Amino acid sequence: MITLTNLSKIFRTELIETHALRDISLQINEGEFAALTGPSGSGKSTLLNILGTLEQFDDGDYQLDGKSVKGLSDAALSKLRNEKIGFIFQSFNLIKDFSIYDNIELPLRYRGLKPAQRKQRIEQALELVGLHARRSYLPSQLSGGQQQRVAIARAIAGQPRILLADEPTGNLDSLMARQVMELLEQINQQGCTILMVTHDPDQARRAGRHIQIIDGQLSDAVLYDPLAAQSA
Amino acid sequence: MEQFIYYLKVSLISIRRAPLPYALTIFILSVGLGVFFANATFYYQLNSDPLPEKSDKLFFPMLNLVPYECSTDCRTPRVLSYSNVEKLSQTDIPSQAAAMYSADGYLRQRADQTPLPVSIRITQRDFFAMFDVPVLHGSIWPDNSARPEVILTKATAQKLFGKSDVVGEKLLLDDRNVTVSAVLDDWQMLPRLYDANNRNHLSEADDIYLPLETGYDMNYLSNSQSQTFDDTDYRQLSTQGRTGALHQLQYWVKLDTPAQQQAYRQFMTNLVQDEKAAGRHPSPPNNQLVAMRDIVSYFGGDSSDIKAFALVTLLFLLVCLFNASHLSLNRYLSNQYEFSLRRALGASRSQLQLQMLADVLIMALFTITGALLTGYGGIKLMNNLLPANRLFSDWDLTLLLGLLTVAVICSYLVTLYPSLRASFGSLNQQLKE
Ligand SMILES: Nc1ncnc2c1ncn2[C@@H]1O[C@H](COP(=O)(O)OP(=O)(O)O)[C@@H](O)[C@H]1O
Ligand SMILES: [Mg+2]
Repeated sequence: MITLTNLSKIFRTELIETHALRDISLQINEGEFAALTGPSGSGKSTLLNILGTLEQFDDGDYQLDGKSVKGLSDAALSKLRNEKIGFIFQSFNLIKDFSIYDNIELPLRYRGLKPAQRKQRIEQALELVGLHARRSYLPSQLSGGQQQRVAIARAIAGQPRILLADEPTGNLDSLMARQVMELLEQINQQGCTILMVTHDPDQARRAGRHIQIIDGQLSDAVLYDPLAAQSA
Repeated sequence: MEQFIYYLKVSLISIRRAPLPYALTIFILSVGLGVFFANATFYYQLNSDPLPEKSDKLFFPMLNLVPYECSTDCRTPRVLSYSNVEKLSQTDIPSQAAAMYSADGYLRQRADQTPLPVSIRITQRDFFAMFDVPVLHGSIWPDNSARPEVILTKATAQKLFGKSDVVGEKLLLDDRNVTVSAVLDDWQMLPRLYDANNRNHLSEADDIYLPLETGYDMNYLSNSQSQTFDDTDYRQLSTQGRTGALHQLQYWVKLDTPAQQQAYRQFMTNLVQDEKAAGRHPSPPNNQLVAMRDIVSYFGGDSSDIKAFALVTLLFLLVCLFNASHLSLNRYLSNQYEFSLRRALGASRSQLQLQMLADVLIMALFTITGALLTGYGGIKLMNNLLPANRLFSDWDLTLLLGLLTVAVICSYLVTLYPSLRASFGSLNQQLKE
């Protein structure tokens, strides 16, 4: 469903050029749960942002569902983001003076759904992440794990085809991280493609596929995967 | 619609997040706009045309008909002598004509009462038709002859009698008997161009009206402008004032067509030639016939301080705008992360712009309220500081709409630039951390 061909990204500032991504070619299929690992600064977030159309790329091509996103208008890209892609961030990014319910409603608002449809989807999402009883709380009244579950509910409420998660458990303790991980697996089993950046080898192993990026370049995950070597 | 109400709600929530800087922004804008409003009101009223249908038909004739030869300043006097007016009246070219001046007096019902100080417009019959003065009760004097009859404004009638229908009532005007022949309805020409002395254009209309001949008979001297070019004893106004060179009359004629205007000009030229031949016009001829429409600019020599003041208020508004948009920029930059988040969740630029429109609307609402209050306060203050140039706090629809437009534009500027900067910044940056 995602096809990258020779994709490159250069950040230019007045002083330096950073080759954040070089010549990335990658295919992610429908229903996959892929873990993206790599050292800090290797370009993981940049890749995720390009996949989420939040960032432009310089060379190469990115096709989503067989269609290149190159040259799409702002309105088209926004629609694509809104309908096909869900984001989960390390720092949750909930709006702090919106209730849980209102936070989850955000993407549905921009899609122009009818109130009844919005309500139904929000309730479903809340049910899935197990926070139905806290719908009118403010984010600050929830634990970190719960906040991330709200963020997940927000990401899936629009029923996206692909979920992009940038270190979703990076700010959580191991117990909460495991809950979040289980939740993501459950969502994946319902058919949603997931690409998740992680530093946790355990999580990388649990994902169906492991993609590694070093210095902006893909390296063969199987060859360099220390986990695979261990278990062998 | 439901979605826009949602945007309004979101705007309010984001205001609640940092109410103090927001209040400061509104305050700065309100003060800047309020001062601007007050000045604009002043300017607008000073420059508006109170009789747009006939201001090009009403003319103010001036003659250099004085008994001395001017050497340096040969400007035509603004006021005419009684005999000048008599001579100018000896034609039927104008469809209406009225001479006038103003004086102060005391009015009471009985001699044992405390008198009420009043301003008197001493004029002729056509004054009321010429300047569209509405009559509430009674009727205007039938001709221009002397008669001890006064016309009261509604407010004066109320003050004296506690009611407005007082036609036929007797009064003492400076302890001489007069009868009320008519009561005027509320009326205020603004600017008061008929009083063409370039000073009192924004002051209130006079309290009572007296026939010109009666005014001279009662020895009333003008309280605004009078010049004598001989030794007329102003205490002998009824005799010497009519024949001598005491100039205190403003004169207006209504000339409906260009042909009439041309004819009247010719009439003035002929008149001055005759006077010169008779030795009564030693100065070079310098006849003027100025339309009411042009009267302000004709006499407009001393409006430069008003212009300077307008410029200062405009600069002040600019400074306020600059400050307010700076504050607003800070507000948006601190909310920039939220813009990025909304973009990531699928908001398009146009959807974010609708959000900004909601912001603008709310800011405009607060600003307009604040600016109208400050502006109103400013006008009241100016009225107190400059009672001679009393300014009316009335805002007619045109002015009000104009002011509201300025306020909305300012709110838009203060919101637009900062929000654009915040929303077009790098999208992902804030979300990565
Ligand atoms: N907006 C930006 N401007 C300039 N350089 C950037 C920007 N974003 C990321 N980079 C650089 O690109 C490289 C990859 O960054 P990133 O994708 O955030 O790495 P990771 O998420 O793997 O830690 C880094 O060297 C980083 O400094
Ligand atoms: Mg990163």
